[in-house]
Amino acid sequence: MRSRQVALHAVLTIGGLAMLFPFVWMLLTSFKGVRQMLNNPLDWLPAPWRWENYPDALAAMPFGTAYWNSFYIAAINVTLTLLTSAMAAYAFARIRFRGSGVLFVLFLATQMVPTQVTIVPLYLMLAQFGWIDSHLSLIVPTIANPFAVFLLRQFIRAVPVELEEAARIDGAGRWRCFWNVVLPNIRPGLGALGIIAFLASWNSFFFPLIFLNSPELATVPLLLSQFSGQRTAIDYGLILAASAIAVVPTLIAFLIGQRKIINSMAASGLGGR
Amino acid sequence: MKRALAILGVLALATTACSGSGGGNVPGTSSGQGQVTVRWSTWGSAEDLKLYQKFTDDFHKRNPGIRLKLESVARYEDYHPKLLAQLTSKTAPDVFFVGDDNIGKFVSAGVLTPLDDKLSGSDSKSKPEDFFDGIYGGAKRDNKIYGVPNDTNPEVLWFDKKALKDAGITEDPAALHEAKQWTMAKYLDMNAKLKAAGKAGSIFWNWYGSTYSVINGFGGKVWDGGKFVATTDPKSREALQTLAKGYQDKTFLSADTLPDSNGPSTQFLKHKVGFYAGGRWVIDSLKKGGELDDYDIVPFPSQTGEPMPGAVAASYLAINKDTKLPKEAFTFLTEFVGKDGQLLRLKGGGAVPSVKGAEQIVLEDKYPAHAQTFLDVRDTGFANYPEEVSVPGLTADINEHLMKVWTGKVGFDQGMTELQKLVESKLG
Amino acid sequence: MAILTEARPRAARRAKTIRNRDGWWAAFFLGPQLALLAVFLVFPLGFAVVLAFMRWDGLGQKEWAGLDNFAAQLSDPMFGLAVWNTVKLALLTVPFGLGLSLLIAVALNSVKGSGFYRVLYFMPVVTSSVAVALMWQIILAGDEYGVLNTSLERWFGITAPDWLGDPGWVIVAIAIVTIWSSLGLNVVIFLAGLQTIPPQIVEAARMDGAGALRIFRSVTLPLLSPTIFFSTVVAVISSFQAFDQIYVLVNPEHNEGARTIVYQVYELGFKDFEFGMSSAAALILLVLTLLVTLVQFAAQKRLVHYDT
Repeated sequence: MRSRQVALHAVLTIGGLAMLFPFVWMLLTSFKGVRQMLNNPLDWLPAPWRWENYPDALAAMPFGTAYWNSFYIAAINVTLTLLTSAMAAYAFARIRFRGSGVLFVLFLATQMVPTQVTIVPLYLMLAQFGWIDSHLSLIVPTIANPFAVFLLRQFIRAVPVELEEAARIDGAGRWRCFWNVVLPNIRPGLGALGIIAFLASWNSFFFPLIFLNSPELATVPLLLSQFSGQRTAIDYGLILAASAIAVVPTLIAFLIGQRKIINSMAASGLGGR
Repeated sequence: MKRALAILGVLALATTACSGSGGGNVPGTSSGQGQVTVRWSTWGSAEDLKLYQKFTDDFHKRNPGIRLKLESVARYEDYHPKLLAQLTSKTAPDVFFVGDDNIGKFVSAGVLTPLDDKLSGSDSKSKPEDFFDGIYGGAKRDNKIYGVPNDTNPEVLWFDKKALKDAGITEDPAALHEAKQWTMAKYLDMNAKLKAAGKAGSIFWNWYGSTYSVINGFGGKVWDGGKFVATTDPKSREALQTLAKGYQDKTFLSADTLPDSNGPSTQFLKHKVGFYAGGRWVIDSLKKGGELDDYDIVPFPSQTGEPMPGAVAASYLAINKDTKLPKEAFTFLTEFVGKDGQLLRLKGGGAVPSVKGAEQIVLEDKYPAHAQTFLDVRDTGFANYPEEVSVPGLTADINEHLMKVWTGKVGFDQGMTELQKLVESKLG
Repeated sequence: MAILTEARPRAARRAKTIRNRDGWWAAFFLGPQLALLAVFLVFPLGFAVVLAFMRWDGLGQKEWAGLDNFAAQLSDPMFGLAVWNTVKLALLTVPFGLGLSLLIAVALNSVKGSGFYRVLYFMPVVTSSVAVALMWQIILAGDEYGVLNTSLERWFGITAPDWLGDPGWVIVAIAIVTIWSSLGLNVVIFLAGLQTIPPQIVEAARMDGAGALRIFRSVTLPLLSPTIFFSTVVAVISSFQAFDQIYVLVNPEHNEGARTIVYQVYELGFKDFEFGMSSAAALILLVLTLLVTLVQFAAQKRLVHYDT
């Protein structure tokens, strides 16, 4: 039994190191100069350490603005997604109305439509709205989120109906039942969804790539993609310094909230049960 | 209380969202204090764009009423599609770069402002005739100018002395050129030696500049009397066959198909290849990690060793037909392409001036040793053939088709037949 | 007592009136999501369907094209290649990715102190796909440049392919990166699933003399099957829609081994401005996604065990 534990730990550690390696390599490379990369690609440690890669990367692109953009876009998007999808989930879980079942299935079916199917019409439509090169094009369209509705519906169904009935007997209307009874009881679900939606918005690349033009509106992934490019991409020290600037703060935030984040994501996977 | 705060927070964020959106979507908007913002766009990675910073700072100093806003796309091949999408949705910048392979399409679409009157006017820093006539290419149609060449990149062969030496090559291509012995036969022989030494011979970008230079070097023709003869002229066909064979046995590498992280510049710096066909912009890559003295330039070889015209890449600066700031847009354009602007932008590398009388910028650093070659190629060189640029999208289609031949997806003879058919159908 | 009997009919009456107004309440609660969905998904979808039957470059006039766009796409070797690459990517990432995740989850479930590993395996999940692509670009670089190939050569004498440059291998490279970046998510989902299996059942099986493998096959797998099914559906759909990493990792324009249907849609729409063609290709992708998902749901009836 003991030896099995040791063996398992060994295997898991090797796997874990494989997961960690790209991050470590990114950090190490981010301090290397072009010459070292060309001549000694297997060197672990930078020699000499090129600290300038970081100030250079920061000077090349407006990272501060991009961080703020990504953050507030995700924050608004998540808030509105949580509110509207909890409302819809409540309707599907608790209100009886004609066609509820059919509507729910249709609703879920739209989740099957790949983003790219609607991208051309969406682009033309947003251009009509004047939303191209505007953050509204990133915030609003993704609020409609059948998956979120589905997930929260599962959570709402797990809230005992008796709680709501008791509130109703006390004279609460639908809205108060929803706001004061249901919402507080699905906090874990909201937290999970909030984290998932935040990550989705924070890391999204396809929409910003197509909808944004101005450098000061760029989000972090879009800004980062500007560092790659065939003709002159030789300075991977600089490119990976930029990547580290984009990645490390996210990782730190993750490490701080890791327990909650991982549990939330795990819960989302069990939504299928 | 907590909830009220949260709601306030969201509202505050939402306000920023709306204000943040105001700036970009209309061409030419004013931004307080009597300043107007001229939006312009080009391609290039974050590293490339640093080259424009000096010009921008200088421009702001001299034109306090105008702010420049650069909107860039990292990859060249993504740039024109995005620009076209912006033009379709009326969100394009006031002034923008157009590449020489795309300018025909944009001129045909009628989205560019004709510039003749303005260029001849009193606000203009340089007259139409101050630019080399050969490089207007597709930017000129029916004697109207729709775009001004920003600068040029005469296509030369950069060579790596160390790689050549490693492959046992003792002759110096630049010296051979000076002795009028720089022939296609010599060049191909060097490529074969490089290949035998486990390196690649040459890296080409898949564009007319490299392909047609090789055809010319075989003594072949591409266009003759309005007809596309590259697949029918025996010498041209031989040239294309040599290229196809070389691509397939890796004597030649296509820069386009190399992955970003082991791209043409990396391979050239690692001495994995003897020749790299490119312009003056290669200097920027060499400076980052190369032993500068290992590299020099030579024109493409000719059949006989006598100098022949080479290809010149160009990009054009054009003004959006729908701009709300035609005057300011032109101020930017003329300063950018004018002599002073080019001298400021092209210091140390990047490109070769497209305007007459700015030659010193290419020669002053004495790098590469034969920097004069850039000027020679520019002065005698050609932009794309008029027959080819006048049909929108033709040159891109030809390149795309040739790529299939290079990669061996289509057999050579079949590929040639198809190419001929393709060109003829496009010519109509 | 009296109060209660008083209250009951009133509550019932009240409940009835609420129910009468339920239609309105449902509309109110569903309104925002439905409206947004209609504007940003259903309408564009309808528009895409119409566009798929049109010829339009975005600038000129729209022309009716009938089924031409579909016919052109279905007979275009590039589209065939894109479909094949998409399928290959799914075949590589889904079984290997999920299989590996399951193994790791089972291992984690039987060691103490799994929290630390969970964090390690999960890190890529929170990392932006663009950064992931840039990190791997340099690791997977060909010949004597990338650390992976140099190490394989030096330590094991293996000459590895030019992952990102060779059209035959690039899909494998993409699959490796995709599995690396999504592994952690599936691990924690499976782990959560495993932890819902009552230990008594496993214990009972062990008492009956079942070995570890037998327990895995007869107890763990069936009880975990709903979770596995859910993850499979999600993984297939997301591999069909993969774009970000591929786009940054390799430029599919120049490496046809990396062309997927989504890239085809993007290129036709935003590079070639064949909006009709692009929509047609996108609709074919949609049909393909629906078909594969239907097949999975059909298979689910036989393979998935629901304990309710």
